[in-house]
Amino acid sequence: MVQNKLKILILDDEPIVCKRLKPSLEKQGFEVDTFTRSFEALQAVEQTKYDIIITDLKMEGMDGMRFLQEAKKLHPDSEIIVITGFATMETAKESFKKGVFDFIAKPFNLSEIHRVVMRAEAKIRGTQA
Amino acid sequence: MRILFAGDEHPYSAFALKELIRLAMNTWADITILGVQAASASPGPVAPALNLALNRYRETFLNSWEGEDSPYALTNWQFEWYPVKEGLWEERLVCKSGRKDFRVHLRIGNPEAAILREAREEGCDLIVLGCASGGDCLWTGAPAVPQRVASDADCSVLLVKEEQPISRILACLDQTYISQESLEILNQMITIHKAQLEVIGVIPQGGVKKEVYTRLIEVGDYYHDRGIDISTRIAEVADLEASITTDGKQDLLALWMGKKSILSRFFPREWVGRLVARSQSSVLVMR
Repeated sequence: MVQNKLKILILDDEPIVCKRLKPSLEKQGFEVDTFTRSFEALQAVEQTKYDIIITDLKMEGMDGMRFLQEAKKLHPDSEIIVITGFATMETAKESFKKGVFDFIAKPFNLSEIHRVVMRAEAKIRGTQA
Repeated sequence: MRILFAGDEHPYSAFALKELIRLAMNTWADITILGVQAASASPGPVAPALNLALNRYRETFLNSWEGEDSPYALTNWQFEWYPVKEGLWEERLVCKSGRKDFRVHLRIGNPEAAILREAREEGCDLIVLGCASGGDCLWTGAPAVPQRVASDADCSVLLVKEEQPISRILACLDQTYISQESLEILNQMITIHKAQLEVIGVIPQGGVKKEVYTRLIEVGDYYHDRGIDISTRIAEVADLEASITTDGKQDLLALWMGKKSILSRFFPREWVGRLVARSQSSVLVMR
């Protein structure tokens, strides 16, 4: 049976990150939307339920922590993956307290993101070992 | 992020382990601790001194977290198949870390080649290793390992010379391509050490290079946009070499060594070795 494509939202104020992740995740069979501004990403989340959200933390305007809180309020079962270039112990702990699925410090290679996204997919589809 | 820590049984590796722990606590990176020895010990694979050191590194690393905060806590029990001899496999109960990957590996053979191969095969973003402090930057028994790893690795390399606070990062660039990964590695180091950032555009003796100014402005804008306190200046290669020999016990020297344009660089690969050796403090080679 053909499974529905999972929808992924990527939010990072660095266009290069979106540009790198989008084609690689689409190749893995996901439907991917990318945003570089958190307010636009939040508008998208208000209109569409994304299964997986990948978000940066440090951004102008609404930061990633606030964005993920708002996204979780709207869709509690969306799995959120935090990627950050300015990692601290506090942000890692706070992210998990807010219920994120995983926390990844930059730089990362694509296989690392693929592994985490696949684990999130397994959880969503209920096929986790 | 995946970090490879390459260690032997000597004190400088213990200093480097502390830096690894600091990095892991902040980034929650996947971690591999790698021990390397020239030949198999008998009867087991690991020589007793290295075995003791690896046990100590593992325990120190895993015990660095309080309570349930550790992303590396060994909580994930599962049965796995292991080869016993040809044609025979055994199912063993193993315990792995829960949230983030933590492994201890051993490689037998030429240390430099083993470290580079491990980093390549594991897809590491950063190699951390210790070395003798001051102007030597050597490994006991395999002197050239740190400089060769710094020169030849595909990813960034952090050479930890001794335990010391880092209050300023001196990041040196020439006209080479600056990768997104290298900017990100530097971001993490600035954040972890709450360090000031000074970016130095390095030019050849008596020369001025427009490309260096261009890079300096680009990098300055990048960090300025991210709210990082940054100062910039231009220096000649020889002046830089002289100043890092005498200054900056609390500086981290960071060198942008792009993967491209090696032939046209002011920092050819032999320069990395020289600057690494001359620096009084730890060195980050960024790629």
